[in-house]
Amino acid sequence: MKSVSLGQYYAVKSPIHSLDPRIKIVLAILYIVIVFLCSNLLSMALLLVSAIVIVALSNIPLKIVIKSVKPILFIIAFTAIINIFWTTEGNLWLDLGFAKVYDKGVINALFLMVRIFVLIIGSSILLTYTTTPIALTDGIERLLSPLKRIGLPVHDFAMIMTIALRFIPTLMEEAEKIMNAQKARGADFTNGSLIQRAKALIPILIPLFSSSIRHALDLATAMECRCYRGGEGRTRMKILKCRASDIFALLLVIGFGAAVVCINIFASPFLPF
Amino acid sequence: MNSDSYIKIEDLCISYEEDDGGRTSVLKNISLDIKKGEYLAVLGHNGSGKSTLAKLLNMILEPDSGKIYIDGKEITDPEMTEDDVFELRKKVGMVFQNPDNQLVATIVEDDVAFGPENLGIEPAEIRRRVDEALAVVGMSDYAKGEPARLSGGQKQRIAIAGILAMKPDCMIFDESTAMLDPLGRRDIMNTVEKLNREHGITIIMITHYMDEAARANRIVVLNDGEILMDGSPAEIFEKSDKLRECGLDVPQCVGLVHSLKKQGIKIEGECHTPTACAEAIAAALEKKNGKN
Amino acid sequence: MAKIKLQDVSFFYGKGTAYCKEALKKVNIEIKEGSITGLIGHTGSGKSTMLQLLNGLATPSEGKVYLDGVDIWEKPKEIGKVRFRVGLVMQYPEYQLFEETVEKDIAFGPKNMGLNEAEIAERINEAIDFVGLSSDVLQKNPFDLSGGQKRRVAIAGVIAMRPEVLVLDEPAAGLDPQGRDVILDGIFKYREKTGATVIIVSHSMEDMARLCDDIIVLSHGEVVLNGTRDEVFAESEMLERIGLAVPQITLLMHELNARGIKINNGIYTEEAAVDEIAGLFGGAR
Repeated sequence: MKSVSLGQYYAVKSPIHSLDPRIKIVLAILYIVIVFLCSNLLSMALLLVSAIVIVALSNIPLKIVIKSVKPILFIIAFTAIINIFWTTEGNLWLDLGFAKVYDKGVINALFLMVRIFVLIIGSSILLTYTTTPIALTDGIERLLSPLKRIGLPVHDFAMIMTIALRFIPTLMEEAEKIMNAQKARGADFTNGSLIQRAKALIPILIPLFSSSIRHALDLATAMECRCYRGGEGRTRMKILKCRASDIFALLLVIGFGAAVVCINIFASPFLPF
Repeated sequence: MNSDSYIKIEDLCISYEEDDGGRTSVLKNISLDIKKGEYLAVLGHNGSGKSTLAKLLNMILEPDSGKIYIDGKEITDPEMTEDDVFELRKKVGMVFQNPDNQLVATIVEDDVAFGPENLGIEPAEIRRRVDEALAVVGMSDYAKGEPARLSGGQKQRIAIAGILAMKPDCMIFDESTAMLDPLGRRDIMNTVEKLNREHGITIIMITHYMDEAARANRIVVLNDGEILMDGSPAEIFEKSDKLRECGLDVPQCVGLVHSLKKQGIKIEGECHTPTACAEAIAAALEKKNGKN
Repeated sequence: MAKIKLQDVSFFYGKGTAYCKEALKKVNIEIKEGSITGLIGHTGSGKSTMLQLLNGLATPSEGKVYLDGVDIWEKPKEIGKVRFRVGLVMQYPEYQLFEETVEKDIAFGPKNMGLNEAEIAERINEAIDFVGLSSDVLQKNPFDLSGGQKRRVAIAGVIAMRPEVLVLDEPAAGLDPQGRDVILDGIFKYREKTGATVIIVSHSMEDMARLCDDIIVLSHGEVVLNGTRDEVFAESEMLERIGLAVPQITLLMHELNARGIKINNGIYTEEAAVDEIAGLFGGAR
């Protein structure tokens, strides 16, 4: 149980890992916008190239990246097929009798697939794979910090997130222990009707709930003893600094976005799709 | 007030309300003087009131009556402001029983930084303190690691580092070894001793383990909310019958020497560690053989 | 015949992944019927895994676990029955209480066994008697009890299944001497009255010295010592080397020997040491 890793953070060194988390969040948002701006053959090709560059820069093994897309493969395939058969524009390619396939439909399906793949790979590499959950929370807190002025408890939300992340492995370990203990007293979680199985969870949920409360109370005391009194007057050991590389990455993505927009305006009319 | 006393407790009483409306007292008229740099063990069985004492010292609980002074300031003063509490908590750090319930962050060094960050210290200074604290507890190699992957003893050392980085004058250990295995316990006890000797930190070690109490300079034995004994380990262990009466063990060596003395064998000196005990027995044997 | 036998048992975590860890390596042990066997080892030595293998909470990756000569995994569907016969008390069992009353919580196991009301009531009374609780706690909410009492209720919950083998993982952890004594005495009584086999994990060598007939020492997933209490305590250097706390008395005997005083190195109890040392002084005077 100790090997439970939170999120998908993959601990290696890479130019993307070392970017400021705030910049990474902004980059991810920009990138998502760009993905939706891409609408023709040329920009799609560029998009694919950009995704390959991002994967290469991140130093994360391809195997791991592909694994993250696996769970949604079915959904992608399903939407692609629907697109193929539902589109009735363009030139007829194939007539199966019960359905007709147009070239536009195939291209639409292809574009859709590329978009979803790039979207998932790009955002997960820019965020979850290369940024620890804690850095991510930190980045969000700091990006949203202007909102503190209008009274939003940004710090508190970030603190809650941090503690939740910290306690997930602890509680998972505990849940397993409790489950084993009840099994040792003959509890059966796998047989019986749905209601019986739901009932069988009570001996796990009650101890888990009471232990969560105990953790929470103890932790609150410990935090108080360590002079915690909210975000006010707090400093941070790790200061986030925007370095040249962060600015460079930002310019690069903005440049890429501009190129896509240009393609859309000027090159689009000359492209077959 | 004694000039070198760091914590002074006067006539402290606390009780809690029972379900039936009656009150049960937990501490009864406790008075205690703890000197700066002292290494004090508070010994008592479960329910003797020792953990309540710790909570009072850290202002988690308020007494019914009596006063507590820390570094000359009365912490039981109802006029205390939140800032005063903050200042006092900076001086007296607390390490609890369950290491899991003290760690806040998912990275070791971020957790150690938590306290100093709350104090509003400059980032560069926090970094210095964090590195130093981790070095003191021997956990520098784990600075970038995750607490979830550490053993109980290692987690507890991180918790100690987290307090240490706040530069307290005094540290209270509330049964901090109870959930650890022997190796973990040994590490913590060695760390505590180092904090006291090399860093001059006043230590209050709350425990029911005799061998841990034996390492302190002074032991206070609590029984049913009262101070039963107060003295050096040697003085306390001298009265091993009294300790056993209130449900406490004595170190095996002390028990052994006690039984030998009952048989009329004279053994002198401190005997609460195997080495000291062996010395004393060897000396007694020599004396006896010399006489013959 | 051995009550429990582990034959070439290995256990791997996360088999087939990069994180594969061998928790137990080709373990062979036999536990005598009616004995109290101590299991010692530091954190991560494979103790907890071994306990879970005994009652089928974990399945061996390799090898066989026998109860009364029968492979417990012969009929995987009937593993539940094995769990009633081999009762496991996990570490800090008080955190697993969930019912509104002590009585209901202790009844959980017997109920799962399908016993009738009368039988359950009898077993509850017997169980709380073993752990030294009086019948007026039965109607209390377990969450209102003290830590030590909760622990005893949790142990009673396993004893109420009347297991032939009672397995306990550090039943006295964190308790003060009084609390510890009540529980250890209860376990001893259970063995005396029912003839059950007991397997107990503890870090306290003093407790082990007091309670156990046989001792098994695990280190890094392997059995490094396995024998009677006397045999195992005679290996104090080995015990210390693998990071276990040796009884103070044993250390004292070694210290005395190191000072040229000829004394039996194999002593680990206070009483034996008093006799031995009194002997040096020419016996009691």
